[in-house]
Amino acid sequence: MGTSVQVTPLCGVYNENPLSYLVSIDNFNFLVDCGWNDHFDPSLLEPLSRVASKIDAVLLSYPDTLHLGALPYAMSHLGLSAPIYSTEPVFRLGLLTMYDQYLSRKAVSDFDLFTLDDVDSAFLSITRLTYSQNHHLSGKGEGIVIAPHVAGHLLGGTVWKITKDGEDVIYAVDFNHRKERHLNGIVAESFVRPAVLITEAYNALSNQPPRQKRDREFLDGIVRTLEGGGNVLLPVDTAGRALELILILEEFWAQRNLGYDIFFLTYVASSTIDYVKSFLEWMGDSIAKSFETSRNNAFQLKRVKLLINKMDLDNAPIGPKVVLASMASLEAGFSHDIFVEWASDVRNLVLFTERGQFGTLARMLQADPPPKAVKVTMSKRVPLVGDELVAYEEEQKRLKKEEELKASLLKQEEARASYGPDNTSDPMVIDTTNSHAPPDVAGSRGGGYRDILIDGFVPPSTSVAPMFPFYENNTEWDDFGEVVNPDDYVIKDEDMNQTTLHVGGDIDGKLDEAAASFILDTKPSKVVSNELTVQVKCSLIYMDFEGRSDGRSIKSIIARVAPLKLVLVHGSAEATEHLKQHCLNHVCAHVYAPQIEETVDVTSDLCAYKVQLSEQLMSNVLFKKLGEYEVAWIDAVAGKTENHDMLTLLPTVSKPPPPHKSVLVGDLKMADLKQFLASKGVQVEFAGGGALRCGEYVTLRKVGVASQKGGGSGIQQIVIEGPLCEDYYKIREYLYSQFYLL
Amino acid sequence: MASTAQPASSLKRRDAPVTREGDQLTIIPLGAGSEVGRSCCYMTFKGKTVLFDCGIHPAYSGMSALPYFDEIDPSTIDVLLITHFHLDHAASLPYFLEKTTFRGKVYMTHPTKAIYKLLLTDYVKVSKVSVEDMLFDEQDINNSMDRIEVIDYHQTKEVNGIKFWCYTAGHVLGAAMFMVDIAGVRVLYTGDYSREEDRHLQAAEMPEFSPDICIIESTYGVQLHQPRHVREKRFTDVIHTTVSQGGRVLIPAFALGRAQELLLILDEYWSTHKELQNIPIYYASPLARKCMSVYQTYILAMNERIRNQFAHSNPFQFKFIQNLNSIDDFTDSGPCVVMASPGGLQSGLSRQLFDMWCSDKKNSCVIPGYVVEGTLAKTIINEPKEVTLMNGLMAPLNMSVHYISFSAHADYAQTSTFLKELRPPNIVLVHGEANEMGRLKQKLITEFAADGNTKVLTPKNCQSVEMMFNSEKMAKTIGKLAEKTPEVGETVSGILVKKGFTYQIMAPEDLHVFSQLSTANITQRITIPFSGAFGVIKHRLEQIYESVESGTDEESAVPTLLVHKLVTVKQDSEKHISMHWAADPVSDMVSDSVVALVLNISRELPKVVIESEASKTEEENEKRAEKVIYALLVSLFGDVKRDENGKLVISVDGNVAKLDKQSGDVESEHEGLKEKVRTAFRRIQTAVNPIPLPGS
Repeated sequence: MGTSVQVTPLCGVYNENPLSYLVSIDNFNFLVDCGWNDHFDPSLLEPLSRVASKIDAVLLSYPDTLHLGALPYAMSHLGLSAPIYSTEPVFRLGLLTMYDQYLSRKAVSDFDLFTLDDVDSAFLSITRLTYSQNHHLSGKGEGIVIAPHVAGHLLGGTVWKITKDGEDVIYAVDFNHRKERHLNGIVAESFVRPAVLITEAYNALSNQPPRQKRDREFLDGIVRTLEGGGNVLLPVDTAGRALELILILEEFWAQRNLGYDIFFLTYVASSTIDYVKSFLEWMGDSIAKSFETSRNNAFQLKRVKLLINKMDLDNAPIGPKVVLASMASLEAGFSHDIFVEWASDVRNLVLFTERGQFGTLARMLQADPPPKAVKVTMSKRVPLVGDELVAYEEEQKRLKKEEELKASLLKQEEARASYGPDNTSDPMVIDTTNSHAPPDVAGSRGGGYRDILIDGFVPPSTSVAPMFPFYENNTEWDDFGEVVNPDDYVIKDEDMNQTTLHVGGDIDGKLDEAAASFILDTKPSKVVSNELTVQVKCSLIYMDFEGRSDGRSIKSIIARVAPLKLVLVHGSAEATEHLKQHCLNHVCAHVYAPQIEETVDVTSDLCAYKVQLSEQLMSNVLFKKLGEYEVAWIDAVAGKTENHDMLTLLPTVSKPPPPHKSVLVGDLKMADLKQFLASKGVQVEFAGGGALRCGEYVTLRKVGVASQKGGGSGIQQIVIEGPLCEDYYKIREYLYSQFYLL
Repeated sequence: MASTAQPASSLKRRDAPVTREGDQLTIIPLGAGSEVGRSCCYMTFKGKTVLFDCGIHPAYSGMSALPYFDEIDPSTIDVLLITHFHLDHAASLPYFLEKTTFRGKVYMTHPTKAIYKLLLTDYVKVSKVSVEDMLFDEQDINNSMDRIEVIDYHQTKEVNGIKFWCYTAGHVLGAAMFMVDIAGVRVLYTGDYSREEDRHLQAAEMPEFSPDICIIESTYGVQLHQPRHVREKRFTDVIHTTVSQGGRVLIPAFALGRAQELLLILDEYWSTHKELQNIPIYYASPLARKCMSVYQTYILAMNERIRNQFAHSNPFQFKFIQNLNSIDDFTDSGPCVVMASPGGLQSGLSRQLFDMWCSDKKNSCVIPGYVVEGTLAKTIINEPKEVTLMNGLMAPLNMSVHYISFSAHADYAQTSTFLKELRPPNIVLVHGEANEMGRLKQKLITEFAADGNTKVLTPKNCQSVEMMFNSEKMAKTIGKLAEKTPEVGETVSGILVKKGFTYQIMAPEDLHVFSQLSTANITQRITIPFSGAFGVIKHRLEQIYESVESGTDEESAVPTLLVHKLVTVKQDSEKHISMHWAADPVSDMVSDSVVALVLNISRELPKVVIESEASKTEEENEKRAEKVIYALLVSLFGDVKRDENGKLVISVDGNVAKLDKQSGDVESEHEGLKEKVRTAFRRIQTAVNPIPLPGS
């Protein structure tokens, strides 16, 4: 039997919630993606919390909140401790995304679900892989190979291929088949006939306008607003689709030589672009090519200015401008504040480039018709002043005191506990009740000496050393004198690393200063919130720049990949149902769309065994070449190999092999056949019902499988009909020439 | 397999190549075989061919600098893998791509590709050779860029069934060691590698799989390097003393690769020594300046240290180093440090400066890397009294010359530990001077080959190394065919599908499930005018065929006949009958005979039964068959005689096989021949004897 495969969605099925799925392969549990939404709603993670400790490995596919947002929280609060795998950009940009999320949240609320340290420690345990690197797991996962493949959509985006015993499980969500300015598209050819394909229905119902038309409308909309004296706000993600938008704008501005300012405003904008500049290997062919031939780094931005705090934006010269600001959901971050400021001006434009997450402000504004007014909460972190500051300080002092008190009480308690029973039975101990040595002294220094006494009786922990400190100099001697450790005399190889010392491994080294001021800021501050209603007068536009394949392409890609079993996740109930029906009819008979925490068993019902092909057999096999395949019919007898008990196939001896039904191998396309026959001088035309009329009398038809394209099809049924005539035999001959007879 | 057990060596040779040819792996160094320069190594196995590196020899010019490409047929090469951008590893690539019949794919890493273009364009510009000696021009380089594909470290690629991936190799930015896997046989080509981490590069990685063959560089032979920090200290000390005594320091270095490492050292040293900060460091290479952006970009190909520094500021943005475009911009006033190319002092800026400074004993020259035999740099390492200047005059060599090697090649200690961990059964040494290589070979043999399981080879250019790999072919039987694992002796029949080097056996109906191939059934339907009685057809058919079943059609309720269980004949109307069957050679034949029969009847010809034909005795038939068998065997094997027992004696090259015609048993000493005769006889028999009914 094949490898056992189970899929259990933990979040994000039949809706657009973040993605998180449990995939068990022979009881090795993969958590693929670990997403959260912009509300950071812990209830979404409940299913995850129930299985977190059982997880053996985590695979991340994209550097955005929906795919990895819950990682820091899960690692610090839910007991997730498995090794994590991702590509380098997913690691780096994911980290920046989480910084941005944290800082945006912290600026407006007492966010305490996770800290920056949690983010750092979660990301530090990531193992980074390159595209199509076959990583062999060890230990419990022995025999499993994981490999990330290009997925498009976001920089570093990954389709995961998990292989065990020659069977592939493919996890492909949010992929994009189109090449974009900075990314390559998915290569469906690298995943042919996997045992299981896990994909999403998110875009199953959507249709995209042609890219050029969309780009033109996008740029026209922006320019029109700017010319009318208005500002344009593009709410974007931190380090994902924003990059593509930046390139579009950068290119257009250079082309038209426009003078309007463009700002990219996130808490980590400058480091994002700095890192992105060094990720050329991960980008599309055109970017790599332009660098290789002329050393033009596309992300050497000339027009777009990077900002990391809103003050800089406020100080920017007055006039129409374009601002790309995070978060895309408008729930928090700079985009939220800017929206509130700009919404009431008719001249302004808020241009959404992605569908807002469910239940967010962005989603509300994308409704048709858009709301006239929205209620928003404006929050601000302000330093404490006056009475509040005094109160805060008092409070801090009191807390500190309390803590101290508690600590000392604890110590006393401990002392008493260990001291109590020992006191009477231990005559050797100096009366400890008189010793007022602070406990910490005993703790740090006493420990070493106490070992001397420990043999035979136990001194109370509070006692100081009962004897004068004495260090035994236990040097070793041999025939040549004192034994020398050569390591002590080795010149330390420090010179090179001296400079790195101050660098250390600190992961947030490049965190921007504004960001740093927030983290390092220990100045007492508080969050002030007030609700207000914003009149939405500015224009609102939504254009799809999400960089995902649309419904039609998804269907054709699934058909091309032609999985044996298909699991659908992520996407509205309607879209999921639609895609499920489509795939059932056209792709394969095993389509599953499980509910949350519903485990589907997609173990392949495939039987297989391995045999050795003996030399004698192979020397008599005549292969026929068919594309990249070579095929032959074999008749063999099973035998045992000499040394190990493997099966081997030997040629059939003496008696001729039993005849077998002949097999015609080949894929017949009626259109190709028509062309071929025409080239041979046969009159051909398509008659009704897909029949091909050849010559005067003979008709060729393909029956049964016309609707099923690609791998899902069964055996082709072709009918050739005609009266007894010469043409009939000629055409039959031509038809045969399209196949290989085995 | 059984045939190898036979001692008959003469015949073994004869029939072995047919089956064994694919199992021989051949390695031919086309360059860098027992020499340094023009690295190029050809490897072929199972009809797949890989070429590693494509360099030129720096000491020669024109065609003579090329590897021996005429030894091979470039059109047969599937993949060309370039390890790094140095001229002796990559510079004949434009020639090979544009001027030969090579049509395969070329792979190199991202940084290598970016620097390759700059470096070769520069090379074309500075090499002052006559036009006919030019191997390629700038246009060729630009064209070659479109054909080069990129590969990232650890990324697995597959071309024509050849799988390959690469590891970091140290040495220079983008340097890679390639692991090639053809049908399960793994070959590691190290290129130039270093197992020591330096300021910006990772040490060469240890592959996770042990290769069957390791083609390894041997530049430094059995020499040992000083520890890195000792070298660095010597380097900075020499420079510090020279400049503080008012002298000038010349560092002739190849523009790219180690130069960047030295600049990192100098920049760091200057930043920690305030007193030196008024002394200028010049870096005289416009080419290297262009390449700086490559170094500033491909941070991911460097080590952790650089990546961590990158978090603060780009370490390749130097603080104390100035660029120098040409000697005209240079004012020679007082102490300074100049790093200039070329590294061998053959010509160019480094030579100009050398000529200016060599007679002043305050000055020093630091040679920071491996220097090729025959260059001035190699000469001055031995500190001769006098040197010849560019203008032909002799001048005293007074400046102090220091040879401090920073060239990131493995030394003996690294090579030996690397091989010790890797444990390849075959080691092929390339890229080393013959003497050094010989010494390394001896030392490796004493260290590894004592047990006799490790072979160390040092082929010269064009000398081929052949190895046998008896790879077992494994197939996976899947689908319906695999529902039950067969017992010994049971037959397995199905379609064997080969893709790359993987074999699968499956039932025909599963073909479309497990491969992208599909199968087809062709149903044929033909109408024949016939106005006689249907019964007549039945009667006639029964005379010819054993099995004729009559029935009625379900739809139209007309009578039908199923002939030979294959072809259905149906009476469509008074005037026509129709036949339908599934296309198959046997059914086609049956249908043809039915057609002939029906036509015969409809011509109302009297039934002519050729009695003689029918009464032909079994014996006669057999005799004829025997004759045919004999004639066919003679045409196949030549010498076929009949012995007294009626057996056929076939002798080929002194080996004799006896064939029993009745049972098909073959007796022979020689397995190979026995097998051949048996197969031939079986095929002849199927051709001669009547076709059995399907399913019987």
